[in-house]
Amino acid sequence: MLSLYRPGDGILHRMPAGPKLLLLLALVLAVSLLPSRWWAAAVAGGVVVVVYACAGLRDGMLGMRELARQTVALRWLIVVTLALQLIFLGPEAAVANTTRVTAAVLLAGLLSLTTRVTDLLDAVEHGLRPLDRLRFDSERAAVLLTVTITTVPVLARLAGEVREAQRARGVRPGVRFFAVPFLILSLKHADQLGEALSARGVR
Amino acid sequence: MTSRALLLDGVGVRLGEVDALRDVDLDLDARTVAVVGENGSGKSTFARLAAGLVTPTAGTARILGLDPVRQAAELRRRVAVVFSNPDAQIVMPTVAEDVAFSLRPDRLGREETRRRVEETLARFGLSELRERSSHELSGGQKQLLALAGAFVRRPELVIADEPTTYLDARNARLVADHLLADTGHRLVLVTHDLALAARCDAAVLFARGRVEAVGRPADVIAEYESALAC
Repeated sequence: MLSLYRPGDGILHRMPAGPKLLLLLALVLAVSLLPSRWWAAAVAGGVVVVVYACAGLRDGMLGMRELARQTVALRWLIVVTLALQLIFLGPEAAVANTTRVTAAVLLAGLLSLTTRVTDLLDAVEHGLRPLDRLRFDSERAAVLLTVTITTVPVLARLAGEVREAQRARGVRPGVRFFAVPFLILSLKHADQLGEALSARGVR
Repeated sequence: MTSRALLLDGVGVRLGEVDALRDVDLDLDARTVAVVGENGSGKSTFARLAAGLVTPTAGTARILGLDPVRQAAELRRRVAVVFSNPDAQIVMPTVAEDVAFSLRPDRLGREETRRRVEETLARFGLSELRERSSHELSGGQKQLLALAGAFVRRPELVIADEPTTYLDARNARLVADHLLADTGHRLVLVTHDLALAARCDAAVLFARGRVEAVGRPADVIAEYESALAC
């Protein structure tokens, strides 16, 4: 996920991470609170297109190539959400709700597309600092959040390695034979990462 | 570099039910020290002890004159560690961000951090890769990134635990050259590569958690090889 960052010089890139986080949160909330009507679907879609176009993502198509890429990545979410609601709620509510959910995820995605993790780490730490008076460790919380997010691609790679090793040994794919080695590798990685963080001076 | 680099007196380390180190006496002040021995001989535990990552359960230890129990935070500030698996050391998504992450505890200003990062990236030949995804680098590049993350802090002592294990011959030599270059740091190098151990100023041979030999690398390696021949 965190290789999602796209260098750029648009308004969102230039905006400090904290205010940007709040702005996108407000947009996500606004889109989420729209009613389940056809016009709401159009508004949610329009907001996403406008915000991506203004983001300055330098994809040669005014952010639309990146928007298409992100939407394709969400295809299964869209299909499942739409299919279930078509059955129970009818076409208008299904399309409106699915568009709102997709729009919310796409808007949230702009945060990682336009913000370096370092800046996000600083913003989270800064935002949580008032809680330090209540013996909350904002520095540790920010590092924890960062490590959690940045570990996602590592776990994806470990999962791939487990599946590959199983295929090489002729084991049929299955949850039981996947879960145990994956869990062990993940815990081993967590141990190594903890040690590496300590070695880098992180408390 | 006023204090002895490594001073261990009757040190033991017990990990669970296993005595990983037993009755280790060492007084080392060479700039570069190779640590050799079979798997499970206590080399890595010794490396972790020197880095302040494990504490002695018996005896006393001083690393750079510091007590690894009571002065662990100060020790970690002055010691950097490079492990064999660079994937476990990479925290941030891009190369430059990962190097900068090592400087967070020092709370340097943005400009000083940027300057130190750029300087270190250039030193390890990573400047061109500064915006690349850390986890998409080759094995050799990842280990160079791990080295950059360690050296950007300007450590007095670098502990490298089998840093060339996963590398091809060319990258192994590149990483070794960086580690052994005299840039004002001391080095404890745990390795199975005896040719690499021979390039150090001193060597220690571990066996079954104890120190079997200490001295010139050529002598220690000869003793290790004669033990292997038995």
